[in-house]
Amino acid sequence: MLEGMKKIDEVEWEVPVGYVPGMRVPARFFLSEDLEESLEEGAVHQLANVATLPGIVRHALAMPDIHSGYGFPIGGVAAFREETGIISPGGVGYDINCGVRLLATPLRVEDLTQMRALVEELFRTVPTGVGAESRMRLSARGLEEMLVEGVPWAVREGYGIEADAVHCEENGQMQGADAVPVSKRARKRGMPQAGTLGAGNHFLEVQAVDKVFDPGVAAVYGLEEGQVCCMIHCGSRGLGHQVCTDHLRVLESATRRYGIEIPDRQLACAPVHSPEGEAYFGAMAAAANYAWVNRQVITHEVRKVFSRLFGIEYEEMPLVYDVAHNVAKREVHDTDGRRETLYVHRKGATRAFGPGRVEVPQDYRAVGQPVIIPGSMGSFSYVLHGTGTAMERTFGSTCHGAGRVMSRTAAKKSMPGKEVREALLGRGIYVRATSDASIAEEAPAAYKESDKVVDTVTRAGLSMPVVRLRPLGVIKG
Amino acid sequence: MSFIEVPHPADVKVRVRADDCNTLFAEAARAMFSVMYVTAEDRGVERTLAVSSDDLTSLMVDFLSELLYISEVDRVVFSTFEVEIDGTDLKARAFGEPFDPARHLGGMEIKGVSYSGLGIVRDGEQFCSEILFDV
Repeated sequence: MLEGMKKIDEVEWEVPVGYVPGMRVPARFFLSEDLEESLEEGAVHQLANVATLPGIVRHALAMPDIHSGYGFPIGGVAAFREETGIISPGGVGYDINCGVRLLATPLRVEDLTQMRALVEELFRTVPTGVGAESRMRLSARGLEEMLVEGVPWAVREGYGIEADAVHCEENGQMQGADAVPVSKRARKRGMPQAGTLGAGNHFLEVQAVDKVFDPGVAAVYGLEEGQVCCMIHCGSRGLGHQVCTDHLRVLESATRRYGIEIPDRQLACAPVHSPEGEAYFGAMAAAANYAWVNRQVITHEVRKVFSRLFGIEYEEMPLVYDVAHNVAKREVHDTDGRRETLYVHRKGATRAFGPGRVEVPQDYRAVGQPVIIPGSMGSFSYVLHGTGTAMERTFGSTCHGAGRVMSRTAAKKSMPGKEVREALLGRGIYVRATSDASIAEEAPAAYKESDKVVDTVTRAGLSMPVVRLRPLGVIKG
Repeated sequence: MSFIEVPHPADVKVRVRADDCNTLFAEAARAMFSVMYVTAEDRGVERTLAVSSDDLTSLMVDFLSELLYISEVDRVVFSTFEVEIDGTDLKARAFGEPFDPARHLGGMEIKGVSYSGLGIVRDGEQFCSEILFDV
């Protein structure tokens, strides 16, 4: 373990005040002994920087998939008071509401006799990779409505079924979304991209439920061993990137004007209820709605493909749940014996609300929200459920994925994409991408093992395993 | 080569060197496009742009962000750049070719240009900058 870290619990560590100048509270992170080697000093430094921001409550936090980012580390979580706190794009990132959803199907693994044909059909249907454009014909007014209304708008327009919206965080519609501070530039980028997968680590995967850890909760989520599912991982595309770029520019000068001292310019911020803070929050929430619709439109295309190939109805392919990985939200939490409205930033972290919370859909409320953890390409993904412990310790948050351990360039050098593709095929996983290079940069060896990350959050009690999913076919940009 | 990639676990970081500030900015843009596209040539497409910022670091972020925007909405891949900086005002010409999936796929999508650790420093006779891109 790095020098200066204080052990709090079996898998919980504290970065004491003073680790970097100006820390208002200690920082804490969760890490098991077998992940210690992967911890970067730079990431801990970034986490400590978060603890210097005004109005931060209790601790700056990081999940076991922590690694260096910009502004907040990836895996970072921080909550700020409404009255004295700030809002910062550095705690959200460029890909606003990058997230993941899981779609169930009535199919069993043995029904998928033509995996290659299915994956090729999905690849032809879902626009994928840099420069890919949507087949959706969106008017300026349509975009405006989408930004404010999110998934319910998409369902109304025919891109989903009624039950979809309630199985998204925030019902697929962030409160406070405002299209006005979404610039013309952001809209211009967003117009042709709704319903596109993008590139990088974004993917669409056909999976099978491989192992059930908690049959009771799995039944509540509608999942059982051997069942075929579909996972969709993508974000807000150019619209979200532009919202971040535009508002970062404004907040950069606002930070100085409000007399806020920050150790990293990427942590540019403004008081929650300042004009600049409110404009960013409104635009960010609108971009979050765009991302939900993006995943919703892709869901619609996936359902069309499955319906065509297997003769099943859309209603037989329910959305299990959709979680956001990069977002700031207005939430009510118990802090030191009182209920308080906080602005919770999660950057590469997942909300993990426990049983009883009103934000969890009625049909899941008794067991807590589903937490969807995508593995890296070729490795296991997981569904967990939120817990009361997460509510007490991490503002209802947990990890978001495996976390990289190798740069994309190093990954490309270590094994050519063709070899990665063939090795995965040897394990029964058919991968279809726009290029072999993009397969190489996402090679399984470039990531922490997702089971170790999941093991850490389980031991910490932040979320508990429900099922494990094995990849069968992957499409990526 | 006036730029190299510095190892970074999650994103892409480049270190750029040049004899003067104008060339530093032009090379930073070239580095960014070499991350995004496997190939880029000057095939007759030209755009001009002007950016003003509060300081030189912001000017770098704003200049590269502007190029990302133009590249995406105009579907253009840039390869070479002429930059002229006066204080914190910048004028540039960018040269390239239309985006063609058959030629250009295989690079990385850059989501944003980060301020993290970004500075423009004198290193002996040269200007140097390290830029972190969110990919």
